[in-house]
Parts: sequence; C-alpha cells; structure tokens
Amino acid sequence: MSRVTTISEQGGFWSFLRSQLRPRGKILTPFNVISVPIILLGLGILVVRFTQGLGSVTNLSQEYPWGFWIGFDVITGVAFAGGAYTITFAVYIMRMEKYHPIVRATVLNGLLAYIFYAGALALDLGRPWNIINPIIGNSFGFNSVLFLVSWHFLLYMLAELLEFSPVVAEWLGARRARRILSAMTLATVIFGVTLSCLHQSGLGALYLMAKPKIHPLWYSEFIPIFFLVSSIFAGLSMVILEGTLSHRVFKDQIDPKKHHSFEDLVIGLAKGAAIAMFVYYFFRALIFLHDKQWTLLRSGWGAWYLLEIIGLVLIPCFMFAYGVRHRSLGIIKTAAVLTLVGIVLNRLNISIIAYNWYLPVRYYPSWQEIVVTMMVVSAEIWVFRWIVLRMPVLREAHELPSDTQEKPERAAAAASL
Amino acid sequence: METYTYVNIFETKGLEYLLLMSFLVLLVLFVRYLREPGGKD
Repeated sequence: MSRVTTISEQGGFWSFLRSQLRPRGKILTPFNVISVPIILLGLGILVVRFTQGLGSVTNLSQEYPWGFWIGFDVITGVAFAGGAYTITFAVYIMRMEKYHPIVRATVLNGLLAYIFYAGALALDLGRPWNIINPIIGNSFGFNSVLFLVSWHFLLYMLAELLEFSPVVAEWLGARRARRILSAMTLATVIFGVTLSCLHQSGLGALYLMAKPKIHPLWYSEFIPIFFLVSSIFAGLSMVILEGTLSHRVFKDQIDPKKHHSFEDLVIGLAKGAAIAMFVYYFFRALIFLHDKQWTLLRSGWGAWYLLEIIGLVLIPCFMFAYGVRHRSLGIIKTAAVLTLVGIVLNRLNISIIAYNWYLPVRYYPSWQEIVVTMMVVSAEIWVFRWIVLRMPVLREAHELPSDTQEKPERAAAAASL
Repeated sequence: METYTYVNIFETKGLEYLLLMSFLVLLVLFVRYLREPGGKD
C-alpha cells in the first residue's frame, strides 16, 4: 500500500508540488494511448467552436437548440453524480458508517462530474460570456428554472469542494486547516443534499415548458420527481461501477484488509438501488395509467418506451434484488451497467430522441460533438486518477506528523471525516 | 354532460387505485425479499 508524502518530508511547498506533478506509473497504458489523442482533438474542436461559433462543429438548429452536449454531458452527467449526495446523506446524516470508506472517492467523483459535465454547459451557450449573468445579477430571472439550476450548480460545486477539502488539507499536511474544514462537513453535507434534491429535479423541470415538443410517453408534469428518484439509483449504480473499477485499477491504494468488506458495500448499495428503482417503476406506471396511454404503445415509440421501462428499469431492478439475495457481485455489476444505460436512454429520450419527435428532420450529433463529449469524460478520468494517486482518497485517513500532539478526541473526529 | 359508469375501471380511476394498493403490498414484499436470511445483509 503506497503512502502519502508530506510537505515537511519534501523540504518545502515548491519541491513538494514539483514532486506531486511528476507522472506516476506507466505512461504507455491503453487508456493513455486512447485518451490523449481524443483530448487533443477535442481541444482543437473547442478552439473552432469558440472562434467560429456553435454551427461550425455541431448539428444544432432552431428546432434542436439543445443537443448531445446538454442531453448527455449535463443532463445525464449530473444524474450520474447523484451518488455523492446519496452516500454523504447515508454516512453523515443516517450515520451508516459502513459506507464511510467510499465517501471520499464518491465525493471526488461527484465534484469532478459537476466541474466537467455541468461545466460543459458553457460549451453549449451561444454567448458563453453571459454565463455569469444569473450570478452577478445582470437579469437575475427569478422565474426561470435555469436561474435555479445555475445557482444550484455553483453552490453545490462549492459544497462538494468543501466536503472534499479535508482531503486536500491532509495532502498538504495542513493540520489546523483540516480540523476547521472537517468541522464544517456536516453542515456542508446538509446544504449539499438539499441543493442536490432541488437541482436534480430542477433539470427535469426545464422540460416542463416543452410539453408540446416531447412525446407524450415521456412528457409528464412529474418529470422533476422522475429525475430526482432516478438520480438516486443512477448515482448508486455509478458508485458500484466506479468502485469496482477503482478497486481493480488502484489496488495498491487500498488496505488489503478492506478488500473483503467491498462485497458488503456493493450489496448494500445494490439493495438501495433496487428499492429506488422499484418505486420509480411504479411512479412511471401510475402516470402511464393516469394519462391513459395504452394506444401509444402500438407504435415504434411504444416499443422504445417499453425497452426503457421494462428492459432498463424493471429487469435491472430484479437483477439487483436477485444479486443481493444470492450475494452475486457479477449480477449486481451487470445490473449497474444496464441501469446506467437506462439512465442515458431516458435522459436522451427526453432531451433529444423523443423531443420534436413529429418533425421530419431529425437531429443527430456531429462527430465533433461526440469527440468533445469523449474528451470531457477522458479529462475527468485523468484528473480523478491524478488526485487518487496523490491524495488520501482511497487510502486510510492519513495521520499527520503533529496529529499525535492533538487532543485524542479531536484527532479521532478529524480522522473520521 | 359527460357520463360514465361506475363499474368501468378505466373511467373511475379504479385501475390507478388498484395499482397504488398493489404497489404498497409489493413494496413490503420486495423489501422483505431483500432482507431474507439468504441475503444476510
């Protein structure tokens, strides 16, 4: 198991920073070989996008002003980041200590998801320099859902940064700062969970004004509730998948004694996801019955809807349940992947596929839009890996040199956060 | 004036009530299934 190097051991901040910036591990890995050209190409496309305008690299039009960058990066990416508020709620509010070992990685994942995916919102704005307007008060637009979403994104990113900041303080060896930041964690978590519930549903509320444009099988006044509930199991599935990959990739970062408890964690997360999916499925069924949509099922759209609802919600839900009962990690992981595919499909259905479904001309993302999305995902993984390899994210809470001089109860409290 | 028969399960929202009640029963059974000793957790 590798350990953290502190500033004092490195002989000063700058030499510490230099040592941390050096690459660690092999450079020619399959991920690096694939992701570096994607990132470089994506950056080139972004230069064209910001100098020549959106039309030069995207297939967006007056009929489809929001495309793949909003539908996948923002709407889907934020749902995937739901694991952060779910796990912090479980650990800090419900005191489910069992999940403590994954809090740091989950918060980091959520923070990066918001920075990269929600940050991708700026790419899709025709006048990106106006992104600051809702924040500085230049046309606040109190009645707009986008006003709520923009403020919530900003505040939630700050909340997640605060939640993660004790790790950074630990990495820098700043004992006093860590103690202060750790003391703020509970308040920040309460604030963050509240914001999350509101903006996860807020993203759904954005589509309430598009009633005539969204296919009736996907449109409902309850879209905000659907977005909120589905973000719970999307986030939990993402934590299962991300945790599984991290366990494989960052094996040396994790205490070998903790490997066996990972199975219990995954089973607990799968149980939560199964219950959330069960509730979500019945919500959708109830709305379906209420709106009397039987006849809509007799078309291609109906088959597409059933694929999403039965194939990628109900079946993974039962797979999670079966996996929990039989303690089968393979089935749980497969269910997590199917669930994530279902979330992608649901968000893309609402934002792109079933949007303007009656128009003869359809929107398909250009190759540049897909490359930029792959760039955003690759860049997030690069930053995640950089942080995990340097900061005590998966490792046990790092004991700072002067921790032993602290009052024991304070030191214990700080180490638990 | 719109008319409907009280025995029509579609017009009286009877189906919605049935679904809601079956959901509550099934949810209890589902959670119990997840807590069975086989699942230990």
